[in-house]
Amino acid sequence: MNPRKLFALTRAGIMESLQFRLGTFVTLFANLLYLVLVYYLWKAIYASSGVDVVNGMTFTDTMIYLILATSLFNFLEMFVVWDMSRSIQSGKIILDLLKPMKFRKYTFWSYSGSHVVSFIMTFLPTFVVVMIITHGAIHMGINLLWFIISTVFALIVNFNIEMLVATLCLYTESTWGINIVKETIVLLLSGASIPLAFFPEKLREVVQYLPFRAVYDIPLTILLQKNGSDTIEGLLPMFALQVIWIVILTAAGTLFWNYSVKKITVNGG
Amino acid sequence: MEEMALVMNKVCKDFKVLNRHEGLKGSIQDLFSRDYKTISAVKDVSLEVKRGEIIGYLGPNGAGKSTTIKMMTGVLEPTSGDILVNGKVPYKNRTENCENIGVVFGQRSQLWWSLPLIESFKLLRDIYMVPQKDYENMIELYRSLVDIEPILHKPVRQMSLGQRTLSDILAAFLHNPAIVFLDEPTIGLDVSMKDKIRSLIKGLNKEKNTTVILTTHDMGDVDALCKRIVIIDKGTKIYDNDIEHLKGYFGSYRTLHMKLNDDTWESMLIDEKETDIMDVIMKKQKETKIKDIRLEEISTEEVIKKIYEGVAV
Repeated sequence: MNPRKLFALTRAGIMESLQFRLGTFVTLFANLLYLVLVYYLWKAIYASSGVDVVNGMTFTDTMIYLILATSLFNFLEMFVVWDMSRSIQSGKIILDLLKPMKFRKYTFWSYSGSHVVSFIMTFLPTFVVVMIITHGAIHMGINLLWFIISTVFALIVNFNIEMLVATLCLYTESTWGINIVKETIVLLLSGASIPLAFFPEKLREVVQYLPFRAVYDIPLTILLQKNGSDTIEGLLPMFALQVIWIVILTAAGTLFWNYSVKKITVNGG
Repeated sequence: MEEMALVMNKVCKDFKVLNRHEGLKGSIQDLFSRDYKTISAVKDVSLEVKRGEIIGYLGPNGAGKSTTIKMMTGVLEPTSGDILVNGKVPYKNRTENCENIGVVFGQRSQLWWSLPLIESFKLLRDIYMVPQKDYENMIELYRSLVDIEPILHKPVRQMSLGQRTLSDILAAFLHNPAIVFLDEPTIGLDVSMKDKIRSLIKGLNKEKNTTVILTTHDMGDVDALCKRIVIIDKGTKIYDNDIEHLKGYFGSYRTLHMKLNDDTWESMLIDEKETDIMDVIMKKQKETKIKDIRLEEISTEEVIKKIYEGVAV
């Protein structure tokens, strides 16, 4: 595959996202509101527990985790399902199907540009603010590199989940309900709304092996150097989990898509 | 290169649809229903199109035109029969085949909405791997055919429908495909824009020897562009020949225009085999004064209307 095609799509995606500057500021503002809420909620939780460390996490740990999870969420959030259901309904999808690229690849690289923009515009500023406020609670070292690698993996896992749900919507022709269910499951089981450390023991054992954890929990754990991720022995299983899920989901997603695309009838015209 | 740009041999396409029931109770029934019926959208269509031809692919709404186009582009797989586009089966190796076709759907755009047109061009150049030299030549050709300067740096979302359609056509030809599918390219456009678009299509077809499959409901498009037309109705091909030949079938038809006393023109289609034109004029003259009379050959529009209405050819 020639990278020229792919980077051309990234470039266009970056230019398109930059057209919507206002959106970025609104996102940052909404995050701020959300974080105020989260701050008081968890403050109350810690106050009522009467101890400083709950499930191995201090209040600061939890806050850092959740703040970064939120901005990571903004960065990883994709609208594949929405966009695709819209283009199915309008029939525009036929134009994307007629591009000389595999549809899944085309879609992924079309979105890549907007990820680059949101990483720089929402994740980086939040990260810097957290870093300054917490006076070095985040370790600055090789963990940043591991974090970036695992974030790229997380992006691919997330894309695959999105694509699977979007493919499902080809059959149902209605999207809203399915998408809400997907978002709730991903946010909860990935550790984006509640750190996985707070999950009941039994549930945590199951969730640990699910693909959702590969999206938020693993990159953040690596960044914050929790659960032994500051050693190679701790890192390897996490990367392995991400890579295994990428392989499984890509294979399943490709098969499912190739099968489904033959079944669909493109609306209108 | 293949002599034939497109060959279809006894192509059929069936769809399975659920038999829907009426009312709330019916809707609930439908959730569990296995009651499907088969609809044949396209039946036994055979067609050959030579390289460099422009053919008008016509038919009333719901005749199966779009389904055929989707099979030609490889989006849909025919239920039976063979299709070859540029000598290849379109639904196998889709990615590869897409490099050799271009599409324009009058009501949809493949351009990047918020970016200036030139960026969409550059992006398409990279996606289709067009060598820089060819790309520059193509842009040069575009410049000679239409005035693209005012739209080249304009974001697509700010364009008028006419400018956008023009841009979409340019985008479809950019990678110099062997065959281009134009689905109602002049829909909703004003007279002068239609004219511009027709001469652009004609120019590109002449310069690049591109095969064009044109579906339209506008007989002006057909008159301006197509020597040959194919008409399909209820999924079956009912006509395939040049327009003059078609008019021959209706050789006895004339359109009579009469300018009446109040300066309005009244037109009617008359079959000379059945009615005598002089009778009609004399009858009218008894009612009102006729200031002027014009007699014309049947227009393409009238011919097509006759065919859609079910006059046997």
